[in-house]
Amino acid sequence: MKVGLIGLGRMGQGMGQRLLGGGHDLLVFNRTVGKAADLEKAGAKTASTVAGACADRDIVISMVSDDAALNEVALGAGGIRQSLPGGGVHVAMGTHSAAAIQTLAAAHAESGQTLVAAPVLGRPDAAAAGQLVIVAGGPADAIKRCEPAFQVMGRKTAEAGARPEAAIAIKLANNFVLACAIEAMAEGFALVRKYGVQPQVFYEVITEGLFAAPAYKVYGKLMVDQAYDKPGFTAALGLKDVKLALAAGELAKVPLPSGSVVRDRLIGAIAHGDTDKDWAVLAREQGRACGLD
Amino acid sequence: MKIAFIGLGRMGRGMAQRILGGGHDLAVYDAISAQAEPLAAAGARAAASVADACAGREVVVTMLVEDAAVLDIASRAGGLCESLPKGAVHLAMGTYGVGAIRTLAAAHAAAGQVLVAAPVLGRPDLAASGQLGIVSGGPDGAVRACAPLLDLMGRRTFHAGPLPESATAIKLANNMLLGCAMVAMAEGLSLVRGYDVAPATFYDIIAQGLFAGSPAYTGYGKTMVDESWDTVGSPITVGLKDANLIAAAADIARVPMPSHNVYRDRLLGAVAHGDGDRDQAVLAREQARASGQK
Repeated sequence: MKVGLIGLGRMGQGMGQRLLGGGHDLLVFNRTVGKAADLEKAGAKTASTVAGACADRDIVISMVSDDAALNEVALGAGGIRQSLPGGGVHVAMGTHSAAAIQTLAAAHAESGQTLVAAPVLGRPDAAAAGQLVIVAGGPADAIKRCEPAFQVMGRKTAEAGARPEAAIAIKLANNFVLACAIEAMAEGFALVRKYGVQPQVFYEVITEGLFAAPAYKVYGKLMVDQAYDKPGFTAALGLKDVKLALAAGELAKVPLPSGSVVRDRLIGAIAHGDTDKDWAVLAREQGRACGLD
Repeated sequence: MKIAFIGLGRMGRGMAQRILGGGHDLAVYDAISAQAEPLAAAGARAAASVADACAGREVVVTMLVEDAAVLDIASRAGGLCESLPKGAVHLAMGTYGVGAIRTLAAAHAAAGQVLVAAPVLGRPDLAASGQLGIVSGGPDGAVRACAPLLDLMGRRTFHAGPLPESATAIKLANNMLLGCAMVAMAEGLSLVRGYDVAPATFYDIIAQGLFAGSPAYTGYGKTMVDESWDTVGSPITVGLKDANLIAAAADIARVPMPSHNVYRDRLLGAVAHGDGDRDQAVLAREQARASGQK
């Protein structure tokens, strides 16, 4: 199918390669010129504007980093809304706020277009390998139209429901549950350390028992090793996601007290200069809060 | 070895059977004498009193439900401190508070005995099959002396260090992680429900993704999605008892634990709404109430 792709960061690059590999006709755009070189080599055409990337497309995918960038490419002059043909589908695959997605869905509907929100679970390596989990929200027929693209980008598509923001809620809630697990581990490690326990012993107890899952094994190990300097996901990004979850909670009138705790701890970590450390650094912040080193 | 076992509830019964099955000379005692009958039938000696159970024993194992019970049985006239031989070990396997463990350790030391704390991870079925996780804390020699028993009762013993309270801290922190996991899932489920997502859709994503393989999420998450909290594994009231032990341990060690406090408050809310005897997964309903959902 004819696919437009806007946003060629680390995630977008991998997704674009998968679309080309799947035989799709790919037209790409990125604000920073030069990012398209690898995809051009692999057969993509490059547009010089957002409008150009929307011309004649069955679907246009945006993979941009935040709400501001999404609003610019979608709602700005010459943006997706103004450029996408009537009946076209905009697939927003970044992690955005529920409010931004609600606003955008209404705008596209007014212009006779459809918004599908399809945030992804997985890092750039999963994007490059076509192993993302895609959470798709939007009208069923629009999601169906996206399926050929989803099939080459992800290993699984979970359907969230007819509201695009439902997909956002799932994505944010997943990150939120992880954030709470990291904070709880930080508190657990602090408690046992104060009673003379080697962190490794506690790590083994939890990961061989009730918590034998990647979230605990990966982040627990980072805490035991105090290895915060090679971030997979930084405290700053963690704060951004937790704030999106809290905002989505507020919009739907859902109090999230655990989320409020994590938000405050992340702000504390940032206040102490750990902005760009891996967000497992919450263990160090918790240590500070109780007078450990 | 010459062993006594005191406290033959659902957990203690299975653990005592394992010790008996290992060929040890076992005396058993429970305040409710009928609890000792199956073990007596299997070859244990039913003791007439705590003192009778302790006489001449190398190790006395206790598996009692709360601080008050273990402190009473240790310190009263004819209790463990009076009745155990010098040099004997009290292997305390229930989940107790740090304060109680410190008191017990000092009382035994004064009587020339040794306390080993060895709280367990697992439910009665694992106790019966000898597959418990055990966390030991106490002087090396005493823990070594208990090793043959621990090996019969558990699949693995994690050694916390020379202080009994170190083992207590690990057990409590493990329970705290579980409570926080349940609260986080409850909040996550409430959030997605606020956007008309079917709870099972969210469950599948967490249970097959970052939390795959963790019974804390796959088990309790499923119970939350199915709203099947009337089948009770661990009730809210027991969660609250443990949550208070955790808060006290945090207090003693000066560890602020904000996530834990959220968990404890949700437990209190669940009790306030009449869900005290339901499985802790009912925290999902408590969170839903707080969100004005159904």
